[in-house]
Amino acid sequence: MQQLLNGLFIGSIYALFAIGFTLVFGILDRLNLAHPAVFAASAFVGIELVESAGMSIWVAIPLVFVFGALLGLVIERVAFRPLKGRPDAHFAGLISSIALAGMVIALLQWRYGPDTRRFPIGAFPDVRLEVAGAQVTLLQVVILAVSVALMVALTYLVTRSRLGRGMRAIAENPTAARVLGVNVDRVTATTFSISSALGAVAGVLFAMNVNSAQLGMGTAIELKGLAVIIVGGMGSLPGALIGGLALGLAEVFAVQYIGSSWRDVIAFGLLFLILLLRPQGLLGARRVREV
Amino acid sequence: MLSDYSATITFIALGAIFAYSFYAVLVAGQLSLGQAGFASVAAFTSASLAPDPDQLGAVPTLLVAIVIGMAVGALAAALLGLPTMRLRGVFLAIATLAFAEAVRILLLNQEWSGGAQGMSVPKIVNPGLAWLALAVVAYWFWRQGPSRYGRALRAIREDELAARAMGIDVARHRLSAFVAAGAVAGLYGVLWAFFVRLIAPEDFGFSAAIDGLVTAVVGGSTMFLGPLLGSAFLTMVPEVQRALGVEAGWIRPFLASLLLLVVILFLPGGLASFLPHRLRVPTATGDDVASDHSGLQPRRHPAKGEPVAHLVGLGKEYGGVHAVRDVDLEIRSGEVVGLIGPNGAGKTTLVNMISGLVRPSSGRATVLGVTVGDTAVHKVAAAGVSRTFQHSKLFARLSALENVLVGGHLVSRPTFLRRLLWLSSARRDEQEALEHAARCLRRVGLLQLASSRASALSYGDQRRLEIARALASDPTLLILDEPAAGMNHVEAAALSSLIRSLAEDGLTILFIEHNVRMVLETCHRIVVLDFGQVIATGTPDEIAANSLVVEAYLGSEEEDPGDDEGGSIAAGTLPDPTGGGAGISGRS
Repeated sequence: MQQLLNGLFIGSIYALFAIGFTLVFGILDRLNLAHPAVFAASAFVGIELVESAGMSIWVAIPLVFVFGALLGLVIERVAFRPLKGRPDAHFAGLISSIALAGMVIALLQWRYGPDTRRFPIGAFPDVRLEVAGAQVTLLQVVILAVSVALMVALTYLVTRSRLGRGMRAIAENPTAARVLGVNVDRVTATTFSISSALGAVAGVLFAMNVNSAQLGMGTAIELKGLAVIIVGGMGSLPGALIGGLALGLAEVFAVQYIGSSWRDVIAFGLLFLILLLRPQGLLGARRVREV
Repeated sequence: MLSDYSATITFIALGAIFAYSFYAVLVAGQLSLGQAGFASVAAFTSASLAPDPDQLGAVPTLLVAIVIGMAVGALAAALLGLPTMRLRGVFLAIATLAFAEAVRILLLNQEWSGGAQGMSVPKIVNPGLAWLALAVVAYWFWRQGPSRYGRALRAIREDELAARAMGIDVARHRLSAFVAAGAVAGLYGVLWAFFVRLIAPEDFGFSAAIDGLVTAVVGGSTMFLGPLLGSAFLTMVPEVQRALGVEAGWIRPFLASLLLLVVILFLPGGLASFLPHRLRVPTATGDDVASDHSGLQPRRHPAKGEPVAHLVGLGKEYGGVHAVRDVDLEIRSGEVVGLIGPNGAGKTTLVNMISGLVRPSSGRATVLGVTVGDTAVHKVAAAGVSRTFQHSKLFARLSALENVLVGGHLVSRPTFLRRLLWLSSARRDEQEALEHAARCLRRVGLLQLASSRASALSYGDQRRLEIARALASDPTLLILDEPAAGMNHVEAAALSSLIRSLAEDGLTILFIEHNVRMVLETCHRIVVLDFGQVIATGTPDEIAANSLVVEAYLGSEEEDPGDDEGGSIAAGTLPDPTGGGAGISGRS
């Protein structure tokens, strides 16, 4: 039971991170590899807000959300929009987002130095709860609650709102969407900004969970995020949620029953299997190729 | 002086070799990140199997290690490639990345590879050896570029489906590009191991794979020198910064990333786009598009009047909707058959089935001796079927001439291996293929635009280029899917006379067209489809006078078919080579 809960907590962070990834992929068919840099940057910014500005973590999380949203606008404007219409946009977008990620990480190094940073002691209340015989901290409950709330809000946004309709229209056919009056550039920029905001919150929650932030923390979760969106189905939001939770659970149980050094083999083995058996992922739709 | 920089010089060569392993698949449009895994298994295997340099001598030891490493890399790529080659784009990238990660974790947990500590390896590689290896790899890709094999890979990168329709075995080409990438990555792994003395699984992690990809893309994947330029650039950036006194810390990675961003945003072809790129356009003599020239592999065409395609009860169903239903049709050699019908009548689905792109859900069709549906598209093309597409599917970033050269894939001879050895026969065959392509371009009147990019041509020229490309395979059956769409009546008339002249050369032509007047003028026989069924077949005269056809087009039952103006146009049509029309066989 304890393991199950631990798996759910870490899995909800993976899911939140992966949803940001898959949102951009689902709509633009591009992988934004600057997403992990947003994850890392927001962890550092979150720690600074709590440590230096003395803010409560409850104020810091919304601010980090805004910070991530702004960073997302920058990523779209600098790394993706200039590539629009280029035949190699697929490769070029990968590289330009890697380059931008490198710049963000370098700036973090300038601002915060190369060392691991932690939240100050007492940043969040140390409350422990007992759930069905398992120890749970309030912090973990908050992580789960914030992740689920954001994901529900996003699902509502995409399926019900006008903006969400614009997003789905662009995913189907950007040219047709433009002809029908969808402001493609604005919707695209908004998508990036939402995606990065979610990645940013995931970053600060992750930093809270392990109480540390490192420059390389984005790289570590990047691979897992890719695994999650493949397993769940590229572009599928519920798929990313289920994939993230499944990965969190698989990791926790793999550590428990097989040994910590084999943890990642299981994740990637699963990923490989899914790609071979069901390349569209568990909940992804197969794209029909037009002749 | 030089010795101060010997490590840098060696790293440029090693980085370039690794980038070539990405280039090897990028030229075929594949994004793989598994090269780090190939390099890793190759490095560890060769380091543990290679003999002791004290006994065998340094260079022979390295050679043995290289042979082992490249073999292991190629084998790993083949094993990984067999199941993953059907994945595309990002999916392939992530699958191969997963493989590389699995290799890394596996090696971390093995005794023989030293786990996280890694293995110590004797240092043998010096700048000279590294650059020698680089020269060999660069030579390989230089000779590959303008060969038939290299062109086929570029065609696959641009449009996989069109490449298939030109007779290229896409799966085999993709796999061989992948295996080459594995071998080159293996070479890199071995050289790296025997240079840095100590190898650990972490040397071949995700960031190494990203570095290799970045190097290849920054250098440019359209030109064989790209990886070398990329590696020199990316290796030199930190060195120059150090020489300029830029302090370590955050500024160096920041500037390096900024430069990378600038290159990728403002130099779409990578650094290699600075190099001049020339294309020889041969002077074509004549416009004979048949393949009976010495450097080409001549085709055998069936004699006039022999059956080319035989369709029995052919049907295609999409989730309950019958796109094509129960079509019987025989096409004989030398015929020009027009396929007309309202939008959505199933014309394109029918020709897609005939050219092997779509598997029929009922009935059977034999085209030039192959049963379509059970036969891969490239094999149908090899049997002598060539086609154009309703929505132009040119190889957009290749020149018009290169497009047609790819079209000649089936009739030209493979030249890559002979080009590696500089055999004069390869040169002769390439020249012959070029001249053949130029003749095809001239036939459609595009020779003066031979060096233009396909994507830069006007719409009408693109349609004609598609025809030239289809002609280059010296097909028996040429299928044209709405070739006159978007053409004005002058261009359409020119196209009509081109089609008739091709028919006089003995080609069998099946063409879909909405321009009924043009179809009536051009064809020997016309098949009319409506709601997936053949409602009429016959000579142009008969079709023009058929009330069912008029009704299908105009949706009116009161229309008097005798007044249809098509009747008078049809009077000037060609005689039917099959000896009279098959009569009207309304089947609805």
